[in-house]
Amino acid sequence: MRSIVALKILLYDKATTAGSLIGVIAIVFLVGQQLAVLFGLFTYMSVLVDHSGADIWICSKNTLNINATDTLPERYADRISGLPFIAWAEPVLFGNATFITRDGKAESLQVVGLQPSSRALWPWRFHEGSVEDMLEDEGLTLERLDLGVYGDPKIGDVFEVNDVRMRISAITQSIKGFSGRMAFTNVVKARKILKTTPGRCKAVVVKLKPGVPLEEAIAGIQAVLPDTEVMSSAQLSARTRIYYVKNTGMGGSFGFSTMIGALVGIIIITLTMYTGVLQRQKDFAVLRALGARKSDIFVIVLCQSLIIALVGIFIGFLLLGSFLNGTVDTNLPVYMPRRIAPMLALGTLLLCMLGSLLAVRKAISVEPASVFR
Amino acid sequence: MPEPILQLAGIARDFYDGRNLRRVLEKTDLDIYPGEFTILAGPSGSGKTTLLTIMGLILKPSEGSIAIRGRAITKMSESALASLRLHNYGFVFQLAELLPALSVMENIIVASGIQGRRVPAALRRRAEELLDGFGLADCINLRPLQLSGGQKQRVAIARALVNEPAVLLCDEPTSALDSESSAIVLDVLKKLSRDTNRAMIMVTHDPRVFPFADRLIKIENGAIVSDTRTIGQPLPGETH
Repeated sequence: MRSIVALKILLYDKATTAGSLIGVIAIVFLVGQQLAVLFGLFTYMSVLVDHSGADIWICSKNTLNINATDTLPERYADRISGLPFIAWAEPVLFGNATFITRDGKAESLQVVGLQPSSRALWPWRFHEGSVEDMLEDEGLTLERLDLGVYGDPKIGDVFEVNDVRMRISAITQSIKGFSGRMAFTNVVKARKILKTTPGRCKAVVVKLKPGVPLEEAIAGIQAVLPDTEVMSSAQLSARTRIYYVKNTGMGGSFGFSTMIGALVGIIIITLTMYTGVLQRQKDFAVLRALGARKSDIFVIVLCQSLIIALVGIFIGFLLLGSFLNGTVDTNLPVYMPRRIAPMLALGTLLLCMLGSLLAVRKAISVEPASVFR
Repeated sequence: MPEPILQLAGIARDFYDGRNLRRVLEKTDLDIYPGEFTILAGPSGSGKTTLLTIMGLILKPSEGSIAIRGRAITKMSESALASLRLHNYGFVFQLAELLPALSVMENIIVASGIQGRRVPAALRRRAEELLDGFGLADCINLRPLQLSGGQKQRVAIARALVNEPAVLLCDEPTSALDSESSAIVLDVLKKLSRDTNRAMIMVTHDPRVFPFADRLIKIENGAIVSDTRTIGQPLPGETH
C-alpha cells in the first residue's frame, strides 16, 4: 500500500514529478554525454595501441605516450623473436607529418607505414578502396570524416605530405587519432615522409603464443632489452590516456563538467522533491494520525524517489542512446564502454537518494497533530 | 460497571509559545467507556481539541498517564503509539482530509496497509458495505475532488470506521459543511452513536448533536467545568 500511495501521489502531483524527472534525466544525459565524449577521446588517444592486435609494445625508455616515443633499432625485433613464448615480433613505423591541401593550407597527419608482411596496425575499416590500394607505390589513405579538412580530395588526387608526393588510394571509415588524423601508407613511403633513419623504427610490437602469462613475458623481454620500456598493450593504452588527461587539462575540464551535470541534477531533484513534500505535508500528517509510523512515511518518500530515479534513468538512457546513435560516424568523439552504463545508472540512483534526503527529513518531521485545527 | 476503554489520570499539557511555557490543559482525570457517546464542548481555545488529540494518542501529555483497556501507554514509543492508533482508533477531522491522489476506496483502506501489511479482501468488502450504507456506492472509484463536502466527510467517516475501532474521535465534523451536508453527516453520526461497543468522542458546537450524546463535558480555560451524563443515563452496561 505504501508503494501504491507513493506512486499515486507522484501521478497526482504531475508538475512536481515532472520536475524531479527532469533532474534525473539531466544527470543521466549530461553526465553520460560528458563521459561518452571523454571515453571517445580516450579511444582516439590510444587508437593505434588498441587496434594494434599486439599483446606487448616495446618503446623507448620512459615512454609516457604512444604518440611521443623515440625511435628504436629494428634489430630488437630479431633479438627477441627467438624467445620461446613469442609468436611474432615486428618493428612498426608511425609519426606525425604535414599534409598540404590544394589551397596551400598545412594540416597535421599521423602516418602509419605498413608492408604486405606486416601483422599489426592495419587499418580496420575502409569506406572506399582496400589494403592493396593502400600499399600501392604512392598510395595513402585519408579518413572519411576528415576529408573536409583536406579540401574534399577524391581517390586518385595527388598531394604533398612532408614534401613527398602521395596519391589518395583509399578512404578509411571512423579511424581517428588524437595527436593527428590517421593516414596509412606503405612502409617505404612512410620512412621517407617521416625521415626515419634506416634500421630504426618507432616501436616493436609482440604477439605471444597462446597461454603465455603476460607479466612473465614482459619480464622476459625486459631482461633481453633492458634499455627499452616493455609494456602490455593495455598498460601503454592507459599510460597514454593518463598522460593526456594530466597534461592537457582535459581531466579537470571533463571532471568539472561532469560534476556540474550531477550538481544541476541533484539540485533539481532536491528542490522539486522537497516542494512535493511541502505540498503533501497535510497528507503525511493525516497518514501519521491514522497510524502511519515515521518509518512508513520514510518508505513512501523513498519509494517516490526510487520510482522517479528508475523512470528518469530509463528516459535519460533513451535520450543518451539516441545521442550516441546519432553521433556514430561523425566527428564528435563519443564512446560509452559497457561497464560505464550500469555505473552511471547506479550513480544516478544514489544521487536521487541523496537528493531526496531533505524531502524525507521534512516528511517524517510532519506532526500528526497539525491535522487538528 | 464496565471497564473504561480509556483512562486519563492527571493529564496536563503545556505549550511553549516562543517566550513562555503556557498550560493549555489543566490536570484532568477522565474515564471513557465503551458504547458511550461523549461530547466535548467549550469556547475556542478552551483546550478541547488538545484533550481530544491526547486521547487520540497523537499529542503526548506533559504530565499524567493514559491507559487503554487498563494498559499504560504513556511511555510507549511513537511507533507503538502509531500502531495503537491504527488498531484501536478512528478519526474524523474537521475537514475530511482525504488524500486527493487516492480514490475513495483507496482513501478508506489506506490506513490498513500503511504499515506495509497486505490489505485483506474482507476489509475492502467492509469498505464497500460502509460506502453503500452511506449512500456512496457509486463513488468508490472517484477522486475526493469529484465529491461534495458532505460526501467527503461521509467517506472520512467510512475511513474511520473500516477498522472497526474501539474509539471514534471526531473533531467538529460538521463545522465546515453547509446545512444540507451537515444534516446528512449528522444523520450518519446519530446512527453511529447507537453502537454500544464503540466509544465515540466528539468535539462540537453543533447543538443538534447534543440530544444524541450520553455525556457532555464542558471545558473552559483548559479545565473541565462540567461532566454530565445527559438525560440521567446510566453508564453503558449498567442496569437500574
